[in-house]
Order: sequence, then C-alpha cells, then structure tokens
Amino acid sequence: MRKVLLMGQANVGKSVLFNRLAGAHVTESNYSGTTVDFAKGRMRLDHEDVEIIDVPGTFSLEPKDRAEEVAASMLKEEKGALVVCVIDSSKIERGLYLTLEVIEKGYPVVIALNMWDVAKGGNIKVDAKKLEQILGVPVVPTVATRGEGLKELALRMKNAVPADVEKIMKNVGVKSGTHN
Amino acid sequence: MEKKLSQMKYEEKGRIKKIDKSLRAQVAGMGIREGKDVEMMTRQPIKGPVVVNVDRSNTSIGLGLADKIIVEVER
Repeated sequence: MRKVLLMGQANVGKSVLFNRLAGAHVTESNYSGTTVDFAKGRMRLDHEDVEIIDVPGTFSLEPKDRAEEVAASMLKEEKGALVVCVIDSSKIERGLYLTLEVIEKGYPVVIALNMWDVAKGGNIKVDAKKLEQILGVPVVPTVATRGEGLKELALRMKNAVPADVEKIMKNVGVKSGTHN
Repeated sequence: MEKKLSQMKYEEKGRIKKIDKSLRAQVAGMGIREGKDVEMMTRQPIKGPVVVNVDRSNTSIGLGLADKIIVEVER
C-alpha cells in the first residue's frame, strides 16, 4: 500500500491534519516507542487506499534528539512515500527549512501551509502560488482545525512529484554548486 | 558592539553575525542563521537555556550553543 507521511516541525498541526485526513477510515494503531509516539491511519486517495502516518515533529533531518531520530529514520525507511510537509504559515521561513531538506532527498512533496488563519490574523501575507512556482510542488493553504483546504490538499496529493533542485536554485537566483 | 548570544541582556536586540561551523546545521532548522535579527526574551537561571525571538517566534537554545553564536547588538 502506498504511504503518505505527514512531516513538519513540532506544533504546526500535523496531528490535527492527520485526524482530519484519516477521518472515518481510521483503523487506528498507536505505536508507542520509548520516547515518541506516532499514529497510522488510512485514507482514500484517488480511488486507492493509502496508509497515512503522523511523523513526530522535527526541526530538521539531522536529528538532535530521539524524537527527531525517529522522524528522520521513518522518512529514510519509506523510500517510495509521498510526503506532506506541514508548515505553520506564520513561521514559514522556519518551516521551509525541513521542507527543502525533504525535497533535496528526492521525495514527491505536497506543502500544506497550515494555520493560514493565524498568519492572516498576524498580518502575514504568503503568496502560495508564487511559492508553488518557485518550488515546483503543490502548495495548499489549510486551516486543519476547521477543515479548510483539506479537500484541495487531498486532491493535489496526486500531483506530487519530486522537485527539481537545480530548477529551484535557478528560480531563486542561486547558481548551482554554490550552496553550502 | 559584538557579543556572544549567551551574553545578551533581557530585551536586547541584535543581528546574528557569526555562527560556529560546528553548530550551523544544527540551529538552521530553528530559523537561526547568520544575518537574522534576534531579541533576547528570557534567560533561564543556573546555566539554563536562553530564549530568543527570531521571525516572531520564540526558540530556546542551550547556553553552550549560545556561547558559540556571535551577535552584533544594537545600542
């Protein structure tokens, strides 16, 4: 069965999104590790049942603690998985760091700009269309707690493709080979 | 004036000038990079972590890490 991983930093609403997406299809299994939990469920994606996994929050793929280690290794084990990168729209720059790491590893990615309402309330304007052009992956504003944008998110999951890193660099005006 | 992030005072603001190579990747995911504006929010006692505000969000950093980050503070 195809797998969908929900990844993002802590406190961006991954679990709310998970509960919403897995919804009625939940054949819930809660796995408890020693220090971290993650949850699995099912959802219907384009007439196909897929497994959806709520990955523990992590700042980056270079783990600094046990929970982050679990997150990084889960991604590593699921080579064919589709990754939904969940970002807190009001702290977008911070969230994009992990997203770019996932993109760099070659996973097909969809970005959920979650907490869209919080960003709006804080007068933070994010141009989702522009971000989509730059990164070449679907970008969908969502408010998981109210269920907004989730239908579109699910619809656009099937458009997820591995992004072209060279192209992204060109779009942001960085010559290839000069980063890092 | 330059000082270590660990030496900043409560409510002091500055811009990150230099981050030791050994921890650059480690703190980048938290939004802490060279050129970023920071404000000291809280300093925890007994060599506890410092809490700084970067891009409108608070992040706590261990004192050991904060020792290796150089900030140009406003005066």
